This record gives sequence, structure tokens and C-alpha cells, in this order.
Amino acid sequence: MTATMPARASGTTMSPDPTANGNPKSRTPLITAIVALTALAVVGFTLGHTAPTWLDAHVRPWFDSVYKWSQLNNGTNWAFRFVFHPIADAITWSNDKVLSLLRALRWPGMLALTGVIGLRTGGRRAAITAVLALAGCGVLGFWDDTLITVALMLVAVGISLLIGIPLGIWAGLSQRADRVMRTILDTAQVMPAFCYLLPLVVAFGIGIPPAVMATVIYAIPPAVRLTSLGIRGVAVSSTEVGTSFGCTGPQLLTKVRLPLARRAILLGINQVIMMAFGVVVISALVGTGGLGQDVSDGLAKVNVGLAFAPGLAIVFAAVAIDRITTGERPSRKRATTNTAIRKLLDNPRYLGAAAAIAIIGIAIVAKVAGLDDFPHSLNLDVVKPVNSLASWVNDHFRHGIPIVGGTGSFSDFFVIHLLTPMRDLFQAAAWWVIIVVFAAIGWLSGGWRLATLCAACLVGVASLRVWDLAMDTLSQVFVAVLLSVALAVPIGIWSGRSDRLERLLRPLLDAAQVMPAFVYLVPVIFLFNVGRVPGVIASVIYAIPPGIRLTSLGLRQVSYAPREAALSFGATPRQELLKVQLPLALRSIMLALNQTIIMVLSMVVIAALIGGGGLGLETVYGLRKGETGRGMAGGLAIVLLAIVLDRITQAWGKRSSAELR
Amino acid sequence: MRNRFTRSAAVLALGALVVVATACGSDTKAPASTGSVAPSGTSATTDTSATTATGAGISLAVNPWTGSAVNANIAKIVLEANLGTKTTLVDIDEKATWPGLDDGSLDAVLEVWPSGHGADFDTYVTGKKSVVEIGKLGPKAKIGWYIPTSMLTDHPDLATWEGFKNPANAKLFATAESGDLGQFLMGDPSYVSYDEQIIKNLNLPLKFVVAGSEAALITAVQQAVKDNTPLLLQFWQPHWLQSKVKLSEIKLPDVTPACTASATANDGKYACDYPVDILYKAASSKLEAKNPKAFAFLSKMQLTTDQQNEIAAMVDSDGKTAAEAAKTWVDANPDVVAQWLK
Repeated sequence: MTATMPARASGTTMSPDPTANGNPKSRTPLITAIVALTALAVVGFTLGHTAPTWLDAHVRPWFDSVYKWSQLNNGTNWAFRFVFHPIADAITWSNDKVLSLLRALRWPGMLALTGVIGLRTGGRRAAITAVLALAGCGVLGFWDDTLITVALMLVAVGISLLIGIPLGIWAGLSQRADRVMRTILDTAQVMPAFCYLLPLVVAFGIGIPPAVMATVIYAIPPAVRLTSLGIRGVAVSSTEVGTSFGCTGPQLLTKVRLPLARRAILLGINQVIMMAFGVVVISALVGTGGLGQDVSDGLAKVNVGLAFAPGLAIVFAAVAIDRITTGERPSRKRATTNTAIRKLLDNPRYLGAAAAIAIIGIAIVAKVAGLDDFPHSLNLDVVKPVNSLASWVNDHFRHGIPIVGGTGSFSDFFVIHLLTPMRDLFQAAAWWVIIVVFAAIGWLSGGWRLATLCAACLVGVASLRVWDLAMDTLSQVFVAVLLSVALAVPIGIWSGRSDRLERLLRPLLDAAQVMPAFVYLVPVIFLFNVGRVPGVIASVIYAIPPGIRLTSLGLRQVSYAPREAALSFGATPRQELLKVQLPLALRSIMLALNQTIIMVLSMVVIAALIGGGGLGLETVYGLRKGETGRGMAGGLAIVLLAIVLDRITQAWGKRSSAELR
Repeated sequence: MRNRFTRSAAVLALGALVVVATACGSDTKAPASTGSVAPSGTSATTDTSATTATGAGISLAVNPWTGSAVNANIAKIVLEANLGTKTTLVDIDEKATWPGLDDGSLDAVLEVWPSGHGADFDTYVTGKKSVVEIGKLGPKAKIGWYIPTSMLTDHPDLATWEGFKNPANAKLFATAESGDLGQFLMGDPSYVSYDEQIIKNLNLPLKFVVAGSEAALITAVQQAVKDNTPLLLQFWQPHWLQSKVKLSEIKLPDVTPACTASATANDGKYACDYPVDILYKAASSKLEAKNPKAFAFLSKMQLTTDQQNEIAAMVDSDGKTAAEAAKTWVDANPDVVAQWLK
């Protein structure tokens, strides 16, 4: 995971928006703005304090009626019988095949296969880490459940690539396709899975197919984005060479563009896999079994250790797959001796065949030796130690810490002095005031087009009839983002300047990013009581890793020349950091802010499960009560808020790099 | 570049092919026996319909609570031992269960709480007729307002709702989230809730707060009991937590016909206690034709509240798995099982 984490973050970035170009010259004079604001204010006053009732997109009844219709007609209508059901059967069939293949390999064969792929793609270190991580799943006692989860992942990833890469190529070649796709991908990425899980069940039946489809929806964006990015990144000179040698269009694509975009596409594959692991627990709700179900079981029993153990197995599985799908293969040293065997082994085709035969051999030996289950003697019980750690923390951190008091009183302080005033502020302001403020921020950050976009999105939120809930959510998002940035940027700066800290943090950040949030819901409530604070804390835990990584990466990417120059002019290390390194890393830090916001927004639903309320709770109603229209309205409002915040911060990032030049 | 592509592809393809070959050739028994694989989608029937002399295999839904798991495991034991019907248990969310019954990929669910599935009943049982109710399970459930029992020693007037009219009493339950009012905590938003209406119509100085999930609610209860802090919440019987911490139900105004009528009319005037939930069983309408014996057995299977609590306690207190607890109980109660098979 190490090498790609920052890139993963950029994989989750919502795509840059060309409308948000921050060219300062094109900005209209201040007077125009004041006139416009006044005009808006006059219009606003006539609109009243709350969004008028005529501003209603009727999203909720529309989705409700479509859902109801699907419930009643999914057995007879052609769309279900000839489209959805065959797709469901194909998915089930592939999943069954993949799973029985993985099981037939037995655990020794699986480990060998992982090792071989790791050797080819990432070298010895990657192979060893991957094998150990996968073995870790068995040691935790979840071997077969890991296979069930991995099989589902592989099918979902396969489908994502099958659809995503062609779409990415199209988006890479056509500006218009790119623009349309960007909106769809943004929606797919931020829309909570809770909104569409039940409709998928009605369409595809229960079990593997809806789970795979939900995973595909969530995991496909990086495949499209990175492919498109790779194709666009191909230098014009290369394509011109191709054309001048008489390449046809398709030839240009397969012989020039695709090979040159290979790195980006491979990165996209890795990103898809990592994203897919993000919905393991939610997709288990529809009856897939596997590690996600184990986490849910632990959560249903409110047993921290029982939820943590399979959560850790998910982290291990993700690390294993990440290590063998990242990294360029280190260039192999040419053999100096010229023996026949050496020659044979140097030919990759023979080497591959030898590896395949070896793996099959191992699998057969394992079968004969009866090594069906991962040996129980190797099992390690983490449930009890985790539970005793949790209760120790619970006993000692809640109360009675000198000066600060404890997490319980911290939580109360936070609610009374930060969250509630912030919410009151947002909700007390008339709806059009909020829209005007955001439009103004948009205008200052990226000009009129961005201002229009912000205003349009917020009017959209109002038309979904969830304004007050959206303001509640927005206030929590602000607090969570502030807290995340306040923690992530200093830690990121420190880790950008200290290799030791960077090494120390790496596994922690990996775990925080892949560990399903469901695992730490209970401990968070232990410490901070049910309410908005545990939601904020859970979002911070989830949002900090990309923030730290991008900040640290930004510092490390600052070339040495300007830093050295500063030092030789007699700057203290502190001056060098503040006046040289940080300003040069500003763009990356802005990207960190952007990522933090998106991550926090993707946690809105999880926060609602522990008392966060707001839009997240609406989508929970969507899944848990089958009120699809309500869930969709909440989910779409989250998407619209995300687009506003994303485009504004992206514009900041662009400006900070423009100003440097 | 191209070369490397082809090479890697060749290696992977070769590996995959040979492995598939061995998998098909040498392996028939190892997989599939874990029971954790869900029968999926529309093809479930082809998986399990290896029609034997004793009828087609069936799959039962297990919803995420102990009662549901023990019922399903008991049924599985009897179905497999006495009727020779291969039975798959599918762990699945409560709400997703109904589309599964609808298309026949699930055959039955043995514990439905009516209060949470009114809309599903209307859609699938009365409307589409793809799901049938197959009798009551036996246990009665009841939702109500609860506080930790220990609070009653200092505040005996909190035993009934009238005690909460006193703002000083209500304020005991105030939290940072509820401000000056007392906090009333509700857990999973999918459960039926008249709490907001009750609070409003009885004029109680309380604020309705949704915790968002059952796990959050239980954690809040455990924490309140541990710290000895007040907590007012919506909770229910039967539930494993009731045997671990002492909670007392608050007496709300009796259920009256007018109150029931306002629940049906959904007019916002509900102001009395929750009605008793009589748990029922539901099956896919295809089950009777598919496996009549299993259908007859599942229709007859019943547990009393005490019996279910006894088995659930083996899981929740003694740390047995649901399958072990079910086995223990079935072995100890052959006469009850015999009744179901008559």
C-alpha cells in the first residue's frame, strides 16, 4: 500500500473542473459583485426565511413510486426477466467458479500463488509482505471467510475494469464524454451505498449479485478516471509520431496510447481493488457471508473484539492484494552464466509455466495431505485482548483525567460550545443567505462559473426538501474537517521531515484507511457518548490518513535546490520550513484539504449510525425502513454538498499553485 | 512494453487455466460445505433443488439477532434430521429478507416483528401474494419505555409516565445533545416508534434523539448502567441485554381503541403504550408446492416465550453458538419436536 497511498488519494479526488479556472484577470470588478449581491438579497427577502414549498423537485415521491413499482413487477416485467435476472445469474455463476477455484487451491496453494504474483509484480519484499498478510487472515481464524470476500472482490473488480477501462478510454479521447462522466462518477463516489442497496436487491435478488453491483458502483470511478488521465497524459509528440507512420485510429489507441498509459491504468486497477474493500461490510447486509458478515455479527453483539478480529482480517487481505497489484516489477538482472537451465528460466513463458505447475503441485499435495482448513494450531485469539484493552480504555479515559477531565466531558464541551452553536448559525440563517454566501465564496475562489455552480447545487439541496438537515450535516462536516486538518497538517509536516515517523505511521495509516468504520463505532460511543461527537470523531479517524499522506508527500516533493539556497543564505530550519518548504508544498496541502472534505462526507452515513442525525439519518431510513425516496433525497443532498465543497477547494488548490509561478 | 503485457497476460492465463483444470478434475468435496455461501439471486433454486425423495432443499433467513438465529437453527436440525431436507441458513438484513422471499431465493423467515414490516406485509402478502404468513411463532414481544432499574430507588415516581411531567425529573436525563430537556433515546430508526407523538401529546419535557443503530443504543445502555447515570430509552422484550443489565419498563397510558385507531390513521395523536407484538413466520408462496413436508413443519413449529429465552440464554450468557444451543435444546425436548411433525 505504501507507494500508492497518495495516489489512492488522488484516485478518490473528484475530477478537476475546467469551469473553475481561477484566472484573476477575468474577474469582474468588486462593484459588480456588490450590485449582484444586493440584487440577490432583495430577491432573497421576497423568498422568505425557509425554502419555499414550490421549490420541490418531487424526488422523494418519484423514487418511492419507482421502487414500489419494481417491488410489484420484478417477477413479470421484461426488464427484470431478460436483463437483471440474467446478469444476476452470470454474476452468481462467476462468483461460484472463482470461489471454488480459490478453495481448490487450499491455503498452501493460495499463499504460493500470492507469492508468485508478488514476485512478478513487486519483487521479493512485496511478495513476502503479501504472503504474510494473507496468512494473517488464516491466523486470525477467518481463512474461508476471507476467500468468500476475496472471490466477491475479484468478480466486482473484474466487472469494474471491464466497464471502467473502455469508459475511461472514451473519456480520455472525448472532452464531452469526460464532462458527462465526471458528474456521474462524482455521484457514484459520494452517494452512500445505503441509498441504493435495497433497490439493487429488488432488481437482482439477494446475495452475491446486488453486493457485487453495489461494489462496482462504488469502486468503478478510479478505473475510469485513471485510464482517462493516462490517455490524456500521452504526449502529443508520441501520437504524432504514430500518425506520421500511418497508424489508423484503432492502431493509434492500441499501439501508442494504451501502452503509454499503462502505468496509470495499472494504478487504476489497484485503486479499484482498494475502493472495493471499502464496501465489504455494507454489502454483507444482503446476504453474502464472508468477512463483512463477521464484522456485522460482532457489531450486533456490541462486542468490540468480535468485530475487530474480522476487521483486521479485512485489512490484511487488502494489504496482501495491494502489495501484489502495485509497483513496477524491478528489472531483473540478466543472468551472467549461460547454462541451459538459466536460459530456460529467463524465458518468462517457461517461468510462468513452471510457477503454475509448482502451484498446482502444492495444491494437489495439500489436498492429499488433507490440509483443507488453515491449521487451528496457528490460530491467534485477538478477541479477548482487544476486549480487555477496550474496557481498560473505557475505565480510564472517560473520567478523572487531570485538567481535561476525560473524553465524556470533552464530548459535552464540544457539543455545547462548538457543534450546537455552529448548527444554530447555519439553521438560523435564511436559506438564501447561505446560498449567497457560498456563491460569493465560489466567486472569490474561481469566478462566476464556480459561483453559479455552487448556487445551483444549493438550490438543488433546497428542492430536495432537506434544507435543515443539510445545514445540520454541513455544520458537523465543518467541525470534522477543521479538526482533521488541525491534526493532519502538523503530523504530515512532521512526518514529511522525519523518515522515522513516516515509517512508524505507515502501517497505522494503512489500517485506519481500510479498517471498516463499523469496527470502531462501539469504542467511539464508549468514549464520547451517543450523539454528534462520536460521529465527528469517527469521521476524523477516517479522514486523517490521506491528509497526513498528502501533506507529507507535498513537503517531500519540494526539490532540494530552493531549500539549500535558503539554508545557505542563513535561514534557520524553522525559517526554511515556513518560508520555503511549506509555500512550495501548498498545492499538495490544498489537495489534502480537498480529500479530507470528501472523506468526511463519505462518513456522514456512518456517523448517523451513532447519533449524528442530519442527512445521514435520512439515508439510514432509506435502507432500514425501505423508504427509498427518503434515502435517495438524503443521498443526493450529500452529493450536492460534496460537489460544492470539492469544487471550491479544488479552485483554491489551483490558485495556490498559480500564485507561486 | 507490449511484450511485457503479453508476457504477464500469458503467465496469468496459463496459471489460471491449469488451475481450473485441476480444480475441476480433482475436487468435488472440499468446497461448498461451509454453509456460509448465500444462495444467490434467481439461480438459488438451481443450486438447491437437487430433488431427492424427501423434497427440495430450502433456505431460511437469519436476521441479526439471537432469537432469529436459534429459531432458524432449530428448524434446520429438524428439517435435516427428520425430513431429510437440506437446509441453508442465510445471514441477511431484516429488510432485504422480503425481496428474497418474494423471488423465492429465500424460502422462509421464522421470526417477523409485525411492527417493523407493515409495508412489506401490504406489498408482498396482501398485494402481490408472493409471500404467505405461516402462523405465529409463539413468543410475544413488547416495545416500551425503559430506565435503569437502579434509578427507581431514588426516584420511585419514575415508574410511570406521570413522573416525567415534573421538569426536575425530566432534567435528570438531560445531555449535551438534548439541552434543557430530558433526552429520550431511540435506537435503530427502522423500529416502529410513536415516541415523538407520545412525548408531544402527553406534554412531557423530553427531547427525542435517534441513536441511529441498535449497537449504539445498547452501548449507551451499558455505559449508563456502568456509570450509574440516568438514561431513558425505547427498548423491548425479548432481548439478550435484558438478562445482562437491569432495566425497568415505565408504565405508559393503557392502549385504548382510540389510540389504536390513531395509529392506523397515522394522525399524530398517538398517546398510549405500545401494543404487544405477536411474532409470526412468513414463507415464500412457492414453498408449499416445492416442499410440502417442510412447509407443513415450518407452519406448525412454535416456541413459547420461555423456551426461546432459555435457548437464547445459552447463546448470550453461556457463549454457545446458535447451532450448538439449538442442538442441545432439540436433543433435550424430543416431545416438543414430535408435536411439530405430526
